[in-house]
Amino acid sequence: MSDHEELESTVAAWVLGALEPDEAASIRVHVEGCATCRQTVARLRRAAAALPLEVEEISPPARLRERVYVAAAAARASSVPSAPARKKVVPARGRWKPVASIPFGRLPALLAVASVVLALLIGLAAGNVIGRNSVPPAAAQVARYQLVGHGALAGAHGTVVNLKVEGVALVDFNGLPPLAKGKVYELWLITPGGHPDSAAVFVPDSNGGKVVLVGLPLTGYTEMAVTAEDAPNGSPTPSQPPELYGNLG
Amino acid sequence: MELYDRYAGLSYAVAMRVLGDPGRAEDVVQEAFLKIWTNAAGFDPKKGSLRTWLITAVRNRSIDYLRGRSAHERQELELQPELASTSTHSDPWREVSLELERMAVREAVGSLPAEQRQAVQLAYFGGYSQSEIADMTHVPLSTVKGRMRLALEKLSSYLLGRGLVDV
Repeated sequence: MSDHEELESTVAAWVLGALEPDEAASIRVHVEGCATCRQTVARLRRAAAALPLEVEEISPPARLRERVYVAAAAARASSVPSAPARKKVVPARGRWKPVASIPFGRLPALLAVASVVLALLIGLAAGNVIGRNSVPPAAAQVARYQLVGHGALAGAHGTVVNLKVEGVALVDFNGLPPLAKGKVYELWLITPGGHPDSAAVFVPDSNGGKVVLVGLPLTGYTEMAVTAEDAPNGSPTPSQPPELYGNLG
Repeated sequence: MELYDRYAGLSYAVAMRVLGDPGRAEDVVQEAFLKIWTNAAGFDPKKGSLRTWLITAVRNRSIDYLRGRSAHERQELELQPELASTSTHSDPWREVSLELERMAVREAVGSLPAEQRQAVQLAYFGGYSQSEIADMTHVPLSTVKGRMRLALEKLSSYLLGRGLVDV
């Protein structure tokens, strides 16, 4: 068998990604210089491209939509520098103010607002992909900050996406450890004077992830923090120093 | 949003087919959509449709997860021209066309001899090398090469016969 025949017999495996790196490199070089093999490769690639179409569609979980939108919004805001490393927040109990939880009746409306804003952001980003370029910069409307875990929450982190125009924010949490029975996580917004206002309570999914809607404008707050509090409604004041926190700006 | 609504089901299904793990499949789909939205400059319509770009990204990343590989170690499947043209506009006819395409592909794959179908599926969805497939199926490497080649040639002919491949 000639070198050409030997290599030509392997192009299907190459097209399917079924070669070791060194084998793939040899085939690539050969195909680039062989018109016959280039034609074969083009034909087989079109066939290979059809393979995923045999798979029956599966509706992904609804939360994936939220995650994708938050990630896209965060990416759009990536030109905004992240908050610098912050000093450790150890709030003195006496300084924490009573909280104002989000009334549950407001949540559908807030979710709708957030959806519209996120849809707009996604639309802008997708518009770039398909060649539309008459979009305003999104960075002025969206800011992103990071929450970093410490201590028992050392593996956890959160990305805050502040949708300034609508006065709401989304926080995409990952790596949160499971809660003890009878506990929920509570999200706090902290004023420059060290007063925490409750922004939301939540329970992460089995993978330690959760997208949380903050239905309060972040204006006037300098920090965001998370503590574990009693279920189901959390605590009016934090019962412990936070181990997941970050600066807002 | 429209892009997500249109292709999230297929993307997630491909990731699930490769990984069989809902959590990892979600991660992969999120990464793929983010990639397509943030790397607009990397998208070349001449090399394939958005759908192909997206699904190729989902497949490649899923295989990385499965094999515990980093992206730079990957022999990445390259983009290929689309089967039928795919515009980004919402169009009932386009949806029908896509469904017809998928029916044809299922029919074509289903018509392949079992051993040929197995060879391409182990490579595409399993991320196995031809040598690994030879070991797994207890046949010579040359047989695996032949099966892959025959399967893709038949698939190409089948789809071409239905006007779905612009060769």
